[in-house]
Amino acid sequence: MNNAINIKTNLTFIVFLLISLAIIYKIYVIQFKEGDYWRKRSKEITTKLVEIEASRGNIYDQNYNLLATSLPFYDIGIDVNVPGLDDKTFNQKKDSLAMMLNKLFPEKSKKEYLAMLNKARQENDRYILIKRKASYQELQLVKKLPILRNGKKGGLVVLQNDKRILPFKYLAKRTIGMAREGIKPVGLEGAYDSILKGVSGKRLMQKIAGDVWRPINDDEEIQSKNGKDIVTTLDINIQDVAEHALLKALIKNQATYGSVILMETKTGKIKAIANLVKKDSTTYEESLNYAIGYPSEPGSTFKLASVLALFEEYNVDINEKINVGNGECVYYNQTMKDAHPPHSPVITLEEAFMTSSNVGISKIVTKYFAKNPDRFVYHLSRFHLDKPYNIDIPGEGIPRIKKPKDKDWYGTTLPWMSIGYETLLTPLHILMLYNLVANNGSIVKPMFVEKIEYNGKTLKQFQTEVLSEKVLQPTTIEKAKQLLRSVVEKGTAKSLNITTFKVGGKTGTAQIAKKGKYYTNANDKTYLASFVGFFPLENPLYTCIVTIHSPSKGIYYGGLVAGPVFKEIAEKVYSKSLENVSPLNEKPNNIIHLPFVAGTNTNRLKYLSTNLNLPLPTINENQLIPPISEDSAKYNLLQKDITQIIQNNTIPDLKGVSITEAMPLLEAKGIKVIVKGQGKIKDQSIPPNSKIQKGQKLILTLSSNI
Amino acid sequence: MNFLESIKGDRIIWIVVVILSLFSLLVVYSSSIGLAYRYKDGHTEYFLFKHTLLTLSGLFVIYYIHNIKITTKELSIIGLVGFPISIILLVFTLVMGVKSGEASRWLEVPGLGITFQSSDVAKITLIIFIARSLAIHKDKLKEFKDVVYKIIFPTALICFLILISNFSTAFLLALTIFYMLFISNVSFKILFKLIGILMLLAVIFISTICFFPNILPRGKTWKSRIENYIKGDNKSNYQVEQAKIAISNGVFIGKGPGNSAQRAFLPQASSDFIYAIIIEEYGTLIGIFILMSFLVIFFRTIRIVQKSKSLFYSYVVAGLSFNMILQAIVNMAVAVNLLPVTGQPLPFISMGGTSLIFSSINIGIILNISRQVYEQERTLTNEDATQNKNIKDIHQAETKLQA
Repeated sequence: MNNAINIKTNLTFIVFLLISLAIIYKIYVIQFKEGDYWRKRSKEITTKLVEIEASRGNIYDQNYNLLATSLPFYDIGIDVNVPGLDDKTFNQKKDSLAMMLNKLFPEKSKKEYLAMLNKARQENDRYILIKRKASYQELQLVKKLPILRNGKKGGLVVLQNDKRILPFKYLAKRTIGMAREGIKPVGLEGAYDSILKGVSGKRLMQKIAGDVWRPINDDEEIQSKNGKDIVTTLDINIQDVAEHALLKALIKNQATYGSVILMETKTGKIKAIANLVKKDSTTYEESLNYAIGYPSEPGSTFKLASVLALFEEYNVDINEKINVGNGECVYYNQTMKDAHPPHSPVITLEEAFMTSSNVGISKIVTKYFAKNPDRFVYHLSRFHLDKPYNIDIPGEGIPRIKKPKDKDWYGTTLPWMSIGYETLLTPLHILMLYNLVANNGSIVKPMFVEKIEYNGKTLKQFQTEVLSEKVLQPTTIEKAKQLLRSVVEKGTAKSLNITTFKVGGKTGTAQIAKKGKYYTNANDKTYLASFVGFFPLENPLYTCIVTIHSPSKGIYYGGLVAGPVFKEIAEKVYSKSLENVSPLNEKPNNIIHLPFVAGTNTNRLKYLSTNLNLPLPTINENQLIPPISEDSAKYNLLQKDITQIIQNNTIPDLKGVSITEAMPLLEAKGIKVIVKGQGKIKDQSIPPNSKIQKGQKLILTLSSNI
Repeated sequence: MNFLESIKGDRIIWIVVVILSLFSLLVVYSSSIGLAYRYKDGHTEYFLFKHTLLTLSGLFVIYYIHNIKITTKELSIIGLVGFPISIILLVFTLVMGVKSGEASRWLEVPGLGITFQSSDVAKITLIIFIARSLAIHKDKLKEFKDVVYKIIFPTALICFLILISNFSTAFLLALTIFYMLFISNVSFKILFKLIGILMLLAVIFISTICFFPNILPRGKTWKSRIENYIKGDNKSNYQVEQAKIAISNGVFIGKGPGNSAQRAFLPQASSDFIYAIIIEEYGTLIGIFILMSFLVIFFRTIRIVQKSKSLFYSYVVAGLSFNMILQAIVNMAVAVNLLPVTGQPLPFISMGGTSLIFSSINIGIILNISRQVYEQERTLTNEDATQNKNIKDIHQAETKLQA
């Protein structure tokens, strides 16, 4: 309609067309004229997806003491040629950067740092290592330094490595174990590796020098998922007692190795498991799990199985007489001897058991079972001696119980088997045999892990697994207990007679076969000294086995070598079990102390308690309250679901929460968390129930005594 | 058949927009099977789903708007009412807006959690507002001071409010208004005078930024971008370098969907630098095809401008299409380093929710007018009368409003 508008709009179209041609020309220039240069550049950019290991879960003992945890360490480097760092900024700030680096890490002078920075900048070197294995706190300080504080443009290159830390060093080290690529899984770390290690993430990294890769983006491309925690049945206090008692005995007897297992009788929960092997005359270390992994001939401790079989099959009386003569007898061409000659040629079964007479036990076993050894083996099988327990921890030793149809079942097998030879059993198996008696004929599966947790929430609670019930008749249990009591009262373990509570148990002194032979020369004899039993006798709480291998100080009897270890452990554990009236599985990080209260009456205290959500100490109505100490009352914080609260964009009350729990949740919401101190969260700079704002700073003050 | 018949307006614009939308799905798909997102568990479908939904809503918005029965009078009222509203929105954004980068650009719709750039609203309303002024005062804009008073002053006000947080959008909008003046019957003398004054202002502005970069929130960014572009310093101009590497790898047929390596290095790979990624993955030919698609849209809108019997409609279509195509051209020119780095998305293709919706509104209005123009053309009923009536309507509407 209007000629002018047509011309003008057409003209504009031509202008756009020309610009478009310019764009196409630019594409042509980039692809062809400069193409080789840019494509070469793209080849120089080497990237790969690097697996980012998730932070490994913790292993706790039953009281939430940390047995194993992961601490992050950082290798801090600088890329002074990062794109985005221009000459001006670099030159302006390099001095102060060098100065601050020197202040933080004084191993190099300011001049040296400056020289490093300049040299790398000139030579286009993409990586200078500043500090190896820096701590988290150090990294936070480095992030604030000039140049480096500009994030990606600052050229800070951080490589994180986690280091597994065992806060209690060697205590239960082998049972805690390890999991590393290329080695066989060991202990709980190995057994629960898939749970502990979490799900690793992936991060796109660019090669900047040699073997140094830097992340391209701020976030991981696939977020890693932290590992879950496991709460074990171990009690680090009992473990400590067990390990030290064992160590003392090992040093005293200069033994090659030894082990201790202490188990809660009813539940099968392993409370302590120690394995120490000699390094030199005063040093022993945890390196192999003998207690569960190494079957050997148990010796006299096996005699319990023999008498149990007699009771079960023939209801033999403990006063049945056995003719032991002078303490020697011959089976086929083999002579069996007692360690000490008997006090009379005819003794009762009880006497044979408590003095650990080889001749006595083997004679009565052969008397009853020689015609049908299958029944003997059948009972051993019922006692679960011939098969592994399939416990959580890898590497459980496979027991060996011969059967009459086996090729190596000889005429001498039954008598020698009855006194603990020609069979292979781990200390754990022997322990479980005694637990069978202690636990009124029920076989429970030994357990090492109580629960699996994530962020303090229980994901899975393990229950005691009962493998079989009523394996033993009540009369069998009664008789067995009496025999085991006699051993301690008047037999080979008299030194163990503790006055405060009753112990039942059995000594064992097995000669160790060397290259298949027992008797070489006298000096070359080695022994396995052991003691296994339970306490208190009437209503057993714990079952415990101590084995000491190759004592070399002339004393080798189980009662003298292993007995004292058992005694020390039993006394300490028993006195502790009396102290611990409160439930054992209370979670210490949820406990806070009741403030000091005095001079008030119950009504007022009740009012305060309900309003402050504190538990009321048990005190009679309307009574004037005497001063109570801070420790006398504990209360559980309401189960704080901080995850939920943070998800709702609200800052929760973080008091008492562990920083490793809170940090990732808060940072995921864009909060800059600044941590001061160590331990659990004590104070927070933003009050609870505030709305979360992205980028806000939250200072958390930690304290170890909360 | 019924549905196809209900699609009216310029068929070619329709086809190109649908092709671009489908292509954007492909681009988002390739970004979701690309390295950076491939492993973000669960998110692959999420991105694709979200973008598909958005693209569909975009097409629905176009369809809905293009079919609205609207008269020139009503549209001009939208411009008149929209103008003060967009000023309020812009001021509100500056004061309250959600922080993005160093400057506030985004405004949140209360309750819905949807954010949008208030400059997108301001762009459309200002163009309609100026088109209205140009049409109503077509015979009065003889004097320089009239043009300044009626056109430059409202433009400057809006552009200044946008400029505080987003230079390039303000600049492109100013250029659009200038284009509208250029095709109107304002004399060249006045235009040259304007250019002179604007050049002077630009010199003052640039020197202010160079000497006092802290005077505006984004001053520093602008300064360094200008410096980088002038110096051509590759070491510090990281994004441009990465974009060039991307383009260099896309000769003819490209590396194939999802195979972009440079996506990881380009911080704005799915928005500001998407054109470089398109060339890297789909090749030069597709790149040129996209470029040409926008030219085709512009060419078709020129036909609407030329055919429209209503000056007001001509100016609205000219302004809206110019602004959109300019934005597209700038985006592509930045990606190939013809222009300094600036954050203009590629209409219909860049990922990013609300800009797509506003592009759809933009095209919807253009198609609505094209529908009216074509219907008019077909019925051929009393052309002059219609136009006179239209302008009378506008006068009436204005007097009503003033009263």
